[in-house]
Amino acid sequence: MDKPIKEQYLVSGFLTLFLIHGMQVGVGVLGFQRDVVKVAGYDAWISVLIAGMVVHVVIACMYTLLKRVDGDLISIHHQIFGKWVGNVICFFVSIYFVAKAVNVLRTYIEVVQVWMFPDLPTWSIAIVASFFFYYVVAGGFRSVVGLTFLGVMIPVAFVPMLLLPLEFANFINMLPILKHSIVELLLGAKDTTLSFIGFESLLLYYPFLKNRDLTQKWAQLGALITNVAYTVIMVVSLAFFSEDQLNKTIWATLTLYKVVQLPFLERFEYIGVSMWMFLITPNIALALWAASRCAKRISGMNQRSALVIAIVIMAVVIILLPTRQEVNQFSNWVAQTGFYFVFVYIPLLVILQTIALKIRRGKHEQTTNL
Amino acid sequence: MIGRWLMKKMIDNRKETLRDVFLQFQQSTDFVIYTFKTDERMFKIAYFQTLIDTDRLNRDILPSLTKSDCKTLESLLTEVSIQDKEIIKSPKDLREKVLQGFVAVYEGKDPSKCAIIESSMDSGRDVSPPENEFSVAGPQEAFIESVDTNINLIRKRLPLAQLQIKEMKIGKITQTRVAVLYIDGLVDKDNLHTIEQRLGDVEFDQVIDSSSLAQMISDNTMSIFPQLVNTERPERVASVLAEGKVAFLADGSPEAVFGPTTLVEFFSSLEDYYLPWQIATSVRLLRFFAVAFSVLSTPLYVAVLTFHYELIPRDLLSTIIASRSNIPFPPILEAIFLELTIELLREAGARLPTKVGQTIGIVGGIVIGQASVEAGLTSNILLIIVALAALASFTTPVYQMGNTIRLIRFPFILMAAFLGGVGVAFCLLVTIVHLLQLTSLGRPYMEPIFPPRFSDWRDAFVRLPFNWMSSRPVYLRPRDKGRFNFSRAVQKHDIDE
Repeated sequence: MDKPIKEQYLVSGFLTLFLIHGMQVGVGVLGFQRDVVKVAGYDAWISVLIAGMVVHVVIACMYTLLKRVDGDLISIHHQIFGKWVGNVICFFVSIYFVAKAVNVLRTYIEVVQVWMFPDLPTWSIAIVASFFFYYVVAGGFRSVVGLTFLGVMIPVAFVPMLLLPLEFANFINMLPILKHSIVELLLGAKDTTLSFIGFESLLLYYPFLKNRDLTQKWAQLGALITNVAYTVIMVVSLAFFSEDQLNKTIWATLTLYKVVQLPFLERFEYIGVSMWMFLITPNIALALWAASRCAKRISGMNQRSALVIAIVIMAVVIILLPTRQEVNQFSNWVAQTGFYFVFVYIPLLVILQTIALKIRRGKHEQTTNL
Repeated sequence: MIGRWLMKKMIDNRKETLRDVFLQFQQSTDFVIYTFKTDERMFKIAYFQTLIDTDRLNRDILPSLTKSDCKTLESLLTEVSIQDKEIIKSPKDLREKVLQGFVAVYEGKDPSKCAIIESSMDSGRDVSPPENEFSVAGPQEAFIESVDTNINLIRKRLPLAQLQIKEMKIGKITQTRVAVLYIDGLVDKDNLHTIEQRLGDVEFDQVIDSSSLAQMISDNTMSIFPQLVNTERPERVASVLAEGKVAFLADGSPEAVFGPTTLVEFFSSLEDYYLPWQIATSVRLLRFFAVAFSVLSTPLYVAVLTFHYELIPRDLLSTIIASRSNIPFPPILEAIFLELTIELLREAGARLPTKVGQTIGIVGGIVIGQASVEAGLTSNILLIIVALAALASFTTPVYQMGNTIRLIRFPFILMAAFLGGVGVAFCLLVTIVHLLQLTSLGRPYMEPIFPPRFSDWRDAFVRLPFNWMSSRPVYLRPRDKGRFNFSRAVQKHDIDE
């Protein structure tokens, strides 16, 4: 770690739970059922479980990386690749986080346009959101964490609503279990990537945690909560919808809300879409924070200016994605990149780091022998 | 401008004498100098007749002068039975003291020293029951405009040597006495330093009230949320001092200000501690519900009726539509019209004398409301919602916070008219982010919600029994954490033993 973070900017270790969980649950969960069901059919919930397991392994990998260097992703890259190559890779990571922010915000705007306000121009929300996110992230990491914490706690009240459609559930659908091949299940797991990624921002905020060596349990617990939540949503969807319906429903979770009826309230998805804002803003804020932090660390520029640049890029790209097709295409790119970055590159880094440390230690021993 | 003029004057008069001060004072008509002749000596007596108590002058000071062994100013001081008296030589002290209601006694035309004797007139009112922060149970005393009486009210409740008071003068023109109170050994030094430093840095020329001073030293002066609590109840100040907070009083102001505070504290009334904890907890929860209702109900009405009428089940919808069917305005205009009416009534009620105020309340509330519904300008349902929301906003125990809640409703209503539920959610988010970034004397404002400190939840949204509150609130970082020894307080005993 190049410069230790001041005590007053650190956050409690147990908030890692909320950071991991809050960053994973975003727009993906609104409609991840369709992609998985296409491949894995009624066994989709197994795919979700598999993906969840892999997440636990990747979190363990990240902690191995971070503990060895006691810094962030940039320190890791510097350690393995040296300064120049490390900075170049980190630059792409920074772009990746901006892309994630774009994806989440643009998808949310899409949802709002489809479900509530078809005439709402994309640019108007993009501009308002830009100012909002500047305000959030300029408040510092603590402000972002606070938003994440409340962004997890407030929507918790809406989770039980998802169980109400079980009134019409048909669990027989799911039998027989495991009628799809392992390959199909794994492909299905790969398709959940978009809903599971996000926790890789841990690589950047790790130095901001108090007692960071001991936070792994919280991180794993956060991921576990996500897994359970996703599996439950998947099971509910599978029990409620038929396979054909799921294949045609883009935002199955929202459609589930549609069924909820209370004596004074119907069409719960309107409230669902509105309250979903509390889930997605932490996502975007943390991604923008990670992107600007990354840029600051590699170039030494002011984080405020890095943030402004990131937000401007985000706003421009959002406005450049006018239709559903483009949004979808962009989502797929982010998902692909995310998949390779999180599930391939990070485990690879562990191996590279081990080798780098071995070589360095070898050199060190040589010099001491001399 | 007056400040600069005073500064210039001060620099000009760097070598002024006591005589110059008297000459300056003599320009006002209420300043009196006369010669008091005894057998041997000629004393001159000078004072502002509007500032001093003439009875005391005649009773306690003048007789001493006539005594035969009173020859010098020093011997005069030993004769006078008033406690606050001294010999001074500096013109600056003289000016200050005479303006505080001291009588100056000197000899000759151009004196080098001067005896001053306290004889100020006490024009303050008596301690009376609180009017703004009324409570059914508990002590019925409120601060008055004199800082000394106010400190007395607090000291009576905290008979401790550790209760310490630091005084300073703030305001170039008003020279207001401000007293900072804290309990040494409990208070966090950082909090104390912050408040002292900020008070010391205030350069504003006039300090009329402690609440204006509180605004000047707030962490974020652009925020609509109050970041320090004002209170007129001495026992509330005593109780927060005992938690480890810092309070200050300003002379001439019947309110104390204390901090650091949190958002949640604005919704706790001291009565919560006088009532059984189950009742106190329910009342507190009711207040939080009232805040949510007050802020969100009208915006949600606007959002639902403008965009999302599908949200309402059919039977309920028909009731609402029936009440709205004759109304020519969109919901937003209707809502703004009614909200403004209520605010008008409130403001008029606050400005008018009590007796007229009640009449206005009845005229406004019943007549205008009923008439506007009958005229087809607003719907019955909205009238109910707006009236309830206004009522709910008055449950907030701290007046400043009540104002905030009434005001932040308006951006919510506007956004609801533009973006429906999404707009309301967005406003809520902005408010939450703003609250997350606020601090009070550098301590997080949203505590114990964020940063989550679960031990402080015992006295936040709920009020648990006293024997559960064995430690002082964490966010104050008190230097002595424990209120009492928990293990000794709870004695375990078996059945029938």
